[in-house]
Amino acid sequence: MKNLCCLAVFLAMFAGCEKKPDTVYHGYGKLQIAFHHAAEGNPLQFDTMIYHSAAMYNYKVADLQYIISGVTLYRNGGEFVLPGTGGGIHYVDARIPSTRLWVTDQSIAPGTFDSLSFTFGLNAAENLSNRFPDPPLRDMAWPDILGGGYHYMKMNLVYGNSSGTVIEPFMFHLGIGQLYSSSLPNPDSITGYVQNFFRVTLLKRFIIAGSRINTINCTMQVDHWFDGPESFNFDDYPGGIMQSQPGMQKACANGRKAFSGTISN
Amino acid sequence: MPLKKLVISRIQFFRGRTVSRACLMFKGKTGRLTCFMGWMAWLLMMLTPGCNKNPGEPAAALPTPYTITIPRYFPGNLDIPADNPMTVEGVTLGRYLFYDGRLSGRTQPDSLMCCATCHVQAHSFECGIGDPRFPDGHPYGLTGIYTAHFMMPMINLVWTNHGYLWNGLVAPENPLAGVKTLEDLAWIVITSPSEIHGDTAKVAALFQTIPGYPALFKKAFGSDHVTVRNMGRALAQFIRTLISGDSRFDRFLRGEYQLTNAERSGYVLFMTEQGGDCFHCHGGDGNPLFTTNLYYNNGKDSVFSDPGDRRSVTDNPLDLGAYKAPTLRNLAFRAPYMHDGRFKTLDEVLAFYNAQLVWSPSISPLMHHIGTHGVHLTPPQLSDLKAFLLSLTDSSFVSNPAFSKPSSFPDGSK
Ligand code: HEC
Ligand code: HEC
Repeated sequence: MKNLCCLAVFLAMFAGCEKKPDTVYHGYGKLQIAFHHAAEGNPLQFDTMIYHSAAMYNYKVADLQYIISGVTLYRNGGEFVLPGTGGGIHYVDARIPSTRLWVTDQSIAPGTFDSLSFTFGLNAAENLSNRFPDPPLRDMAWPDILGGGYHYMKMNLVYGNSSGTVIEPFMFHLGIGQLYSSSLPNPDSITGYVQNFFRVTLLKRFIIAGSRINTINCTMQVDHWFDGPESFNFDDYPGGIMQSQPGMQKACANGRKAFSGTISN
Repeated sequence: MPLKKLVISRIQFFRGRTVSRACLMFKGKTGRLTCFMGWMAWLLMMLTPGCNKNPGEPAAALPTPYTITIPRYFPGNLDIPADNPMTVEGVTLGRYLFYDGRLSGRTQPDSLMCCATCHVQAHSFECGIGDPRFPDGHPYGLTGIYTAHFMMPMINLVWTNHGYLWNGLVAPENPLAGVKTLEDLAWIVITSPSEIHGDTAKVAALFQTIPGYPALFKKAFGSDHVTVRNMGRALAQFIRTLISGDSRFDRFLRGEYQLTNAERSGYVLFMTEQGGDCFHCHGGDGNPLFTTNLYYNNGKDSVFSDPGDRRSVTDNPLDLGAYKAPTLRNLAFRAPYMHDGRFKTLDEVLAFYNAQLVWSPSISPLMHHIGTHGVHLTPPQLSDLKAFLLSLTDSSFVSNPAFSKPSSFPDGSK
């Protein structure tokens, strides 16, 4: 009996520590970010060859995984960086619903903000090899010889040309780029590395309301990666762009236009 | 370089620090707490005389927590279920069972079979080629029925996070009870027609009568009543100790070894998209397990006839012909290769990736060299890549006495 009581006390003790959804706001606003993915104006459909790039390819999306970090809210010239879970680094696998919602722990004084922005990928200071030994981030590792750290994004595609004679995979992977002294991307001729991460301003002039959860909807328009302003031609690259800085540069120029945001509160 | 140590002392154990460490695999605080509470509840049960099978008996002594040493750069989250914490006694018992042919439930010399019949340490726990029983490397069970697939190794399975077997059938996501964790392999192997083809009740009853075993079960699990469930827990604990992290390449990572020119050049080929492009599926930098533990169709066939591929588990047509990408550690001891043992040598495997890939609708998009049927390395590059793969050879793993057959079993037999 005594032992049973002990067990009960134990269980009660630990049940008490369990995190409950925080319903006490003290007038502060809470923030969560919901990630959405779209192509050609509709929610992204995986594994279906229904999309057409500006450069006249048919394509389908097989995988879409990426990292965002350094979410920052700006107000009156001041800034507020969202530490959130995992030190402010969030991994999205568009196929896995649980990764598409980032519930942050922050309590934010309500009011009007000038803007909200984030880093697509990881900036140079954050992008350190062996930092995340556990999956899923582990499986985003970027080879050390190619600059190290982690993939900002892995988008795996299958594309076909308009005549349907070519159906090939394309690994649209982004991370640190390399400069080569040779015409071929021979790793022995790497002379330097290029940081390809970029900042995205998702929202301008928005309100965080107090005493409630504010949801930011962040939508990636997948087709924008291949369309304007630079037309991305799959056939220009050997099935991937990890070792092509011109390719990654073009992709990132387009990617800056791929995100749009709204807030509901 | 110092190894990161996961020290489990009894004191820490009670403070809950180490326990919560073992609970790290659980996502989120709630999961960890549940895990922690599982430990505590389990502990209390071990300590509570009222919970024991035989009321009059004194409480069993507490088993000693087992220390897992995590090699540098290896994942911190261990796949250890809440209801089977690692203990020295559990591992000891698991090792006996792994090597005791009476796991077949029979005692005649010609009808013995245990895990080690097929999972041989010298071959990184595969059966290898040339074993007198299984000369071509395809094992079969006690009643002569061949296993559906060739062997998988047992290396670093304490970090398996996406299911066991070539197709990942044994996984927490499996809705069937008893087909979820490493613990479940015991009853599966005992009953599987292509393995022991036996009867769990008979096996448990036999071990109940072998002198020494009931006492070991008592030490490990608090009851001398032998159950297949507890056999599975002990076996799983032993298998989770089979860690390989001391190959030449590991020593290179720790700054204790200089790769040869060939190994270094092979390493670069392994890690580059326009080289061999192996890392997207098999890990490497940032992932010293040398596997993502994920499932891919790596372009071996265009027609598929195996009813046991990944699709049989997920029902997704895109998983047709997909299998787990196995670790590339200790390949030197692990021929033949692939789930169907189609390649007898590493050279054959490399020739396949170099120029023999075939397209099919479910091919992994990571096989982006498919358009040209392979990565087309030159012969010297292929030999460098092979040298790199062989730098993952960890001889201390295949000779580690802690993983080998015990000199005698609990009843004194050998
Ligand atoms: C008759 C030979 C045979 C015996 C005996 C045998 N195994 Fe296996 N084992 C295999 C084969 C073959 C595979 C690969 C099977 C597959 O995936 O289809 C395998 C796979 C496994 C795996 C999966 C490894 C991974 O990486 O997913 C585990 C775990 C395992 N066996 C445990 C055991 C245990 C525990 C025992 C003893 C109770 C045992 N095996 C006995 C042949 C055997
Ligand atoms: C698309 C993912 C993928 C890529 C890229 C890939 N592999 Fe594999 N590899 C696999 C899968 C899946 C298997 C198991 C397939 C099977 O058994 O049918 C495998 C099996 C192997 C095996 C046999 C292991 C065993 O235990 O039987 C070796 C060796 C191997 N790969 C080496 C390589 C090398 C070297 C490269 C680069 C040239 C490479 N792989 C690229 C997915 C991949």
